Amino acid sequence: MTSAPFTEKTSEKISAETTEQKSGQTTAQLIKLLIAIIPNYEESFWHVDTELFGAIAEFDSMTLVTLIGEIEESFDISLDDDDISAENFASVASLTELVLERS
Amino acid sequence: MISTHVEFYQGAKGPLFRIIRSPEQVLAHLLFIAPLFEQANQTRHHITRSAINGYHQGLQTIVYDHYGTGDSGGELVEANLNLWQQDIQRQIEEIKANSAKAIYLSLPLSAVLLLSDEMLTLVDGLILLQPDFNGKRFVQQFKRLALAAKLTQADKKNSAEINAQQTIDIAGYTMQEDLLEQLAGQNIPQLTSFNVDCYWFEWLAKTDELSPGRLKQQQALANKTNKLIVQQVAAVKFWQATELQLSAEFLVQEQLAFSQLLSNAAEIS
Repeated sequence: MTSAPFTEKTSEKISAETTEQKSGQTTAQLIKLLIAIIPNYEESFWHVDTELFGAIAEFDSMTLVTLIGEIEESFDISLDDDDISAENFASVASLTELVLERS
Repeated sequence: MISTHVEFYQGAKGPLFRIIRSPEQVLAHLLFIAPLFEQANQTRHHITRSAINGYHQGLQTIVYDHYGTGDSGGELVEANLNLWQQDIQRQIEEIKANSAKAIYLSLPLSAVLLLSDEMLTLVDGLILLQPDFNGKRFVQQFKRLALAAKLTQADKKNSAEINAQQTIDIAGYTMQEDLLEQLAGQNIPQLTSFNVDCYWFEWLAKTDELSPGRLKQQQALANKTNKLIVQQVAAVKFWQATELQLSAEFLVQEQLAFSQLLSNAAEIS
């Protein structure tokens, strides 16, 4: 049968598209939260590669904890204390990854 | 000119700094309960706006700092939940002893963790601003500040060490660990049912859905009172923003709530 590999390939492709879509939605939602908390930047400033911790002056401990609270509420997930690391909050991309892992 | 009286009121343990705005004809009284720790600073500007708006509508407004905070006497390390609750109750009882007018409480964010059954029997209404009745979560978030500070400062403490301390120092606030334990134990199920007007302002964008956690809290409070009115505020969460924000939409909605409360109070009297 030749249809099986084709089906698997199609399924893989759909799965990859779904993951990409989910990642895009998560990033968009995170940016929405960031704009509300740090309103003094143009919307165009925010994108998946925007660096956060250490790169934005306003991104202090208070902002970080506020963001955690909003993320937990908005995505209905729980973050561990161990998740509070410079690596996870380095950029919108790393934060997206963290949220997807915990979802 | 706004008639403003500034005083040190004798609380249960020491003087409390109060700002009282009394209109010529007082139609009702509104006591503002400050939320806790950094939230007090984040909401101060808005509370002042609300107090002035209320004054213009005939409410005597009282804004004060909890014992050990702001301009009140004492140190935070001497404070505990019971003391803060006693201070609120004392003020309500004093108003009641001198006036037959309705008494309302304004409770933003974590201020609701100070609510007690005794208070609810003494007041005529509550105005809740994005209330967070989940004490455990509030304390968890507060303790996370210390962990987050580790990323920016040379603070070596990990979460186990933070939890093991007797006095705790987080974001410049030094307090007894007991205070956080007491706050963590606060939640809606602890309150008995009450029967006063209760306005709940929920900040939520028009296109967003209420999160399960917030919905659960609203439902839990609705089970405690049949007079709960939830109002959606589609505006920026001013207390979270890294720069000063004014929630004009909320202030307008709050003024309507003041009018409604005053109208209800007039009907009763």
